[in-house]
Amino acid sequence: MKKPYIIIAPLVIALLSGCATHPINQSLAEAHNSYNTARTNPQITSLASLELKDASDTLSKADAAFDKGESLATVNQLSYIAYQQVRIAQETAFRKTDEQSVANASAKRDQVRLAARTAEADSAKHEVAIIQETANIQAAELAAASANAEHDQQIISKQEKQLKELNAKQTKRGLVITIGDVLFSSSKAELKSGGIHNVRKLSTFLDEYPKYRVLIEGYTDNTGNDDSNQTLSEQRADAVKTALIDSGIASDRILTRGYGKEFPVARNNNSSNRQQNRRVEIVLSDENGNISVR
Amino acid sequence: MPNISPLKPYQLHIISVFMATSIFFSGCATTPPPVELIAVSRAAVNDANLAGANELAPVQFKSAVEKIDGAEVAMVKKDYALARQLAEQAQVDAKLATAMARSAKARKAADAVQEDSRVLSQEIGRKTK
Repeated sequence: MKKPYIIIAPLVIALLSGCATHPINQSLAEAHNSYNTARTNPQITSLASLELKDASDTLSKADAAFDKGESLATVNQLSYIAYQQVRIAQETAFRKTDEQSVANASAKRDQVRLAARTAEADSAKHEVAIIQETANIQAAELAAASANAEHDQQIISKQEKQLKELNAKQTKRGLVITIGDVLFSSSKAELKSGGIHNVRKLSTFLDEYPKYRVLIEGYTDNTGNDDSNQTLSEQRADAVKTALIDSGIASDRILTRGYGKEFPVARNNNSSNRQQNRRVEIVLSDENGNISVR
Repeated sequence: MPNISPLKPYQLHIISVFMATSIFFSGCATTPPPVELIAVSRAAVNDANLAGANELAPVQFKSAVEKIDGAEVAMVKKDYALARQLAEQAQVDAKLATAMARSAKARKAADAVQEDSRVLSQEIGRKTK
């Protein structure tokens, strides 16, 4: 009869294994549960391994005490300590996690600051570059202005030289070129070759400076009657105008006036002075064409 | 004059054996006073207090204080077993209170730093705009 043994054997095994596992002790079971939970938490195992080891050691003692049948008080005491040690391990892990995040955060903050400073530095560099560029442009402008000024100076000095060649004199009315009586045929409105030469120089000047205009004024001395003097002065002024037009100067740049014996430059008391008064004056306008008529 | 007879040698022997036995047994029955343990536990409670556990882990701290006080009362009453039990619990409670106080501080520091970082990022973001 082997059958009963087959039935009994598992029962015996079950009974024995039941004996081998710990009979229920509430606080010891709680300590085990708590420990098992902590042991599966990688945060705790990595950051609080020493604290967890303490709990594990105490738990082993509690198990041993329980196995040896020591007093309930002893088992409970060790279970309680193991349970609290698990909690210490948890708190330690929490603390270290936060401390790490503090360390990381301050590193991150340094990084953010560094990035900001770099941006500021770049911006400052950029500003410096802009300032440098502006300075360069200004320097170039200054050089150009200086070159222009030099150029202007050259033009002015050239002009001055040309005016000097024209025997132009600075008067209250502006620059005045006088064509003396000797350059006209006696008592006539015909320019002699010398007079034509003077007019040519003037026309060259006017050609070069197209904004200038001229006022041509004829004068005589006080001999002879006023009407013929007036006519002669006008005709001589016109003669100069004609010569300028012949040289290619537009007629609208030329004004003429005859003043007869008026506005003498010398007293008509001798022939030399009278000769001075017989003249044609050419008044140059300013560079914008403005001219003052008597 | 009454005769006070000296004890006979065998009587002495019996008495001495009895006394030795009684001393032996009493020694076995009582736990030696856990003076060192009490001192260590008291120090752990003081550490917890210094760590700010009084405010940051009040429940655990109070438990530790009550237990170490209880252990000292038990010492006076010569209940050394109770003194040892309470002192051991006081020590582990105090350590837990310390750990909780320190983790609470770390939590606060982490929160503060995170807030700082947020404000800083915001400020820098505004500046570069």
